[in-house]
Amino acid sequence: MNTTSRIIWLSLLVLVVTASPVAAQGKSDLTIALSSFSAETVDPALQGHNVKYYLSLMFDYLVGVTPDGQPSQQGGLANRWENSADHKRWTFHLRKGVKFHDGTDMTSDDVKFSLQRAMSKRSTTGYAGPLRTLIADIETPAPDRVVIVTKDPTLIIPTYLSRSLSTEGMVLPKKYIEANGDDVFARKPIGTGPYKFVEQVVGSHIKMTAVDSHWRIGVPKYKNVTFKLVPEETTRIALLRRGEVDVADVSRERVKELEKDGFPVHMRKEEAIIHAWWILGPEGRTPPTNDKRVREALNLAIDRNEVAQSIFGGYAEPAAIPMGLSWSFKEVGFKLTPDMAYAYDPARAKKLLADAGLSGGFSLDVYAFQLPGFAEGKAFAEAIAGYWEKIGVKSKLIPVDYPAFRKMWVDRKAPGAVGYYNIANRDWIGTYALLEKQGYTPSKLNDTVNDPEIDGMIAQVMRQTDRDKINALMRNIFTRLRSEHHGLPVVYVHSPYAASKTLGKWNPGSVMYDLFLDELARK
Amino acid sequence: MVRFVLFRLLQSLIALAILSVVVFVLARATGDPLHMILPMNASAEDYANARAYLGLDRPYLQQYLSFVGRAVTGDFGTSIRARRPVSELLRERLPNSLRLATFAMGVSLAIAFPLGVMAAVRKGTGVDRAAQIVAVLGQSLPTFWVAIVLVEFVAGRLQWLPAGGADSLASYVLPGFTLGWFVVAGMMRLLRSGMLEVLDSEYVKLARLKGVAERKVVWVHALKNALIPVVTFAGIYFAVLVTTAIVVETVFAWPGLGRLAYDGITSRDFPVIQAVVLVTAILVAAVNLCVDCVYALIDPRIRYAR
Amino acid sequence: MSIIAVPELEAQAPVSARRQRLPVVSLGIVAIFVLVALLAPLLAPADPYDQSLRLRFRPPVWEERGSWAYPLGTDRLGRDLLSRIIYGARVSLAAGVVTVLISSAFGAAVGLVAGYYGGRTDAVLMRVTDATLSFPVILLALILAVTVGPSFTNVVIAIAVILWARYARVIRGQVLTLMTLDFIAQARIAGAGAWRIITRHLLPNTLNTLVVLITLQVGYVIIVEASLSFLGAGIPPPTPAWGSMIAEGRDFVTSAWWVSFFPGLAILLVVLAFNLLGDWLRDTLDPKLRQL
Repeated sequence: MNTTSRIIWLSLLVLVVTASPVAAQGKSDLTIALSSFSAETVDPALQGHNVKYYLSLMFDYLVGVTPDGQPSQQGGLANRWENSADHKRWTFHLRKGVKFHDGTDMTSDDVKFSLQRAMSKRSTTGYAGPLRTLIADIETPAPDRVVIVTKDPTLIIPTYLSRSLSTEGMVLPKKYIEANGDDVFARKPIGTGPYKFVEQVVGSHIKMTAVDSHWRIGVPKYKNVTFKLVPEETTRIALLRRGEVDVADVSRERVKELEKDGFPVHMRKEEAIIHAWWILGPEGRTPPTNDKRVREALNLAIDRNEVAQSIFGGYAEPAAIPMGLSWSFKEVGFKLTPDMAYAYDPARAKKLLADAGLSGGFSLDVYAFQLPGFAEGKAFAEAIAGYWEKIGVKSKLIPVDYPAFRKMWVDRKAPGAVGYYNIANRDWIGTYALLEKQGYTPSKLNDTVNDPEIDGMIAQVMRQTDRDKINALMRNIFTRLRSEHHGLPVVYVHSPYAASKTLGKWNPGSVMYDLFLDELARK
Repeated sequence: MVRFVLFRLLQSLIALAILSVVVFVLARATGDPLHMILPMNASAEDYANARAYLGLDRPYLQQYLSFVGRAVTGDFGTSIRARRPVSELLRERLPNSLRLATFAMGVSLAIAFPLGVMAAVRKGTGVDRAAQIVAVLGQSLPTFWVAIVLVEFVAGRLQWLPAGGADSLASYVLPGFTLGWFVVAGMMRLLRSGMLEVLDSEYVKLARLKGVAERKVVWVHALKNALIPVVTFAGIYFAVLVTTAIVVETVFAWPGLGRLAYDGITSRDFPVIQAVVLVTAILVAAVNLCVDCVYALIDPRIRYAR
Repeated sequence: MSIIAVPELEAQAPVSARRQRLPVVSLGIVAIFVLVALLAPLLAPADPYDQSLRLRFRPPVWEERGSWAYPLGTDRLGRDLLSRIIYGARVSLAAGVVTVLISSAFGAAVGLVAGYYGGRTDAVLMRVTDATLSFPVILLALILAVTVGPSFTNVVIAIAVILWARYARVIRGQVLTLMTLDFIAQARIAGAGAWRIITRHLLPNTLNTLVVLITLQVGYVIIVEASLSFLGAGIPPPTPAWGSMIAEGRDFVTSAWWVSFFPGLAILLVVLAFNLLGDWLRDTLDPKLRQL
């Protein structure tokens, strides 16, 4: 055979030899493929959007939580905390003997430093603002005690500094950061978590390696953990099939296919609510959506069951409460009754429109965009536009990407236009924090509700320390959001995470933006 | 000759300068990066703080001059999203793009060679047609579709090759093939017509008369001469491969320049957008310059073109 | 469209590459799709925008659960795939043709002017051309999509704004060669002005090249549009365009294979046909264009 053919055969041989699938990561490594890393910084103070998947392996929180979001004295650096009678002084007792990855001890100085850093001007974390207005002072009476002094009585401090919300509660090394500066820390972070940072290639992966022994996890089962950013779903699934990754987030459409092939799929039930709303004008709602009947009609026109079954492959439940984050319902005693559900009733919707003087229909702009974790975004927008067309509302789809939509929302230049988000589900404090952002007129640009009664109730929750009163207020807020149709709650979606056949037991938990991957490392 | 090179160099620099203004304006036209990095409840004061911190509140002219001034030294600023120096990000990603483009070039040549030679030698027959169709096929299918089909079947189901990432030599194969197939047609065409020309030339006729074996005529004499245009155009195709790899990089999770640009554009990360466009422009300009120089060496008329 | 016979040029042309059989198949395919595009409302069995979630992902008629109501199956929103492909012919072909016509007109103009005037005009125009050529098309389209939102117009603009430079470069190269020929000097001596020379003498001799380039580029634009749709910068839904249809169906390669397969087949046939047609045109009209 001639040279060309010889070369071809030789190359094929080489390829076949080097291409054999990496034999199941030797149980010593864990690899996770995600479709999005969000902000992708490894400095917790730079996380504007709360993603903790990889951060919670490198850093520990002041207050830990159980996988279903309850504060836990076993899970955080504070093994005990109490409040003063007036709820203005919160004392945290720190665990002893916890060391940072560079060998230095973790003390109350570090906690104070971390909190101040999280509240500083440079920080872009989600709850830095509220903490800044709330916290008056941070005292460190002893190396193992921190006292947080607030300006007003409040219940929220432990939760705001816990794993259940964002990253403000992560404890960072004061000496290391002061000695090396923020830039070095952003490139080589160290914390007290079970895994040490090794390397990050932005847009590609984050690698970490296990510490010898961790106060919470013990000796980590996996020597190395790698997070890979793989935007294309087909590729993530192929990696899973090849055994190159152990965990991958997948879309709801492919769950059945994977289960049929024997891959366990872990569902985070009701991980998010797909919630749409009308953008406000500079002064509030504009016609025609300022008319309650129109808002109700637009809600009634959507067949939520069909949306859940078809667009979300059955992995969704109809939602009834605008901004109703269901993980908070039990805590505040809110009972969802059948009459609260929005029926699919296009006839009644048309009648309501006629009552509002719009029997000839009207025009509505619907922004269509994709979001991380919500691949069905555009299909969803097209679907609801289709439902509205059927009741005479001319829906114009406007394709954008999320930053462009956010601009329209915040600039209030497109009043009445429809946008949506897959709002991550959370506990009552997180829900309250969301309402304070999106349902509260004084929050100005982000408001989507503009209802003085709701404003009043939210303001009261802020200053309340009596749990019963808080619960009552939250229940009333939900009830009014629903009765005034202050949004378009469509479905709660379950999010699937496919795992390799050898991964073993794993509870991804029901905490916002966290997968409790560190628990996998527990022997 | 030296004058020619210097002159072209100067012209390239001017082109780059024009480009820098264009990309500066375009990047800023995309929107506000702060929406992506600040939390939802950020106040107007937070925005003002962040803007000042990132230097986005300076007048545009000042921002432009600062950008160009530092770009000349290789400092492309700090990524707004990743908060790390852009030059670091480039250093992480550019080699990956170059390696993939090189591999794709290799694949492309490996396919184009036999196809082009066969087509030329068996000109006009079914083999010629078939070779042409195989080559053109690579340009007639959307790249992402080829990529996804390969990932699904070759990597996922048959598990013959890795699906993504840039870890092993084997992981170059699928993305390299997908990327390379796109330019096979062009190279095959060059080879084929080059070969045809040479095979018809006096030089080859003489060799045949002298009794040189046909195989030697084809593979040694003809190929050698037909290679010249291929080599010069390989440079241009290489630049094309680097700049159009974004789709392949997305599907195969390949950490290259294309994906960096995509993330930069979607998060309105000005420094990254500017840097990537400039770097690819410099790459393309450098390649064009080399090609023009090679051509000038071959054909002196071009040197003195008006 | 005749090349003015000049002894030097003829002697250089390879003897082999003339008279080839008419590419009947390619011409046929192009003609069929053009007809389909023009007659879409008559041919399509259903409204391409009519969505019905209950009917989503129905398979083609020959599989069980298929039906003649949607012969090639339905997409993710229950829309008839055949109708969308038929109407998609309009959109995709229009995108290709319009973009190419705009860029070739502008690019040829620039190339002609640059080649004719030479000197500083040439230098300036060529630097602008070079700068344009080095800007990646996909990135520009992405930037445009992100700034003003994706749309048919933006796709055309984004591609045309860069594609013209290719024409400019090639045409200029040709004009430079033509300018060295005697008949141009003679025309000048006879008192012909720039406009006359460009339109009467230069342009006709570059038409062959233009035709070849145009034919080859139509397919390229259709493929680029598909890539743009994949990245979210192409022709947006619900408009039926082959590229975005393939992109929409890309996660269902094994489960609902028809959603991507049939539009993909359409693109394959059309682009292949245009490419082969372009190849034939090049071989027949001007074999010296081997680098295109």
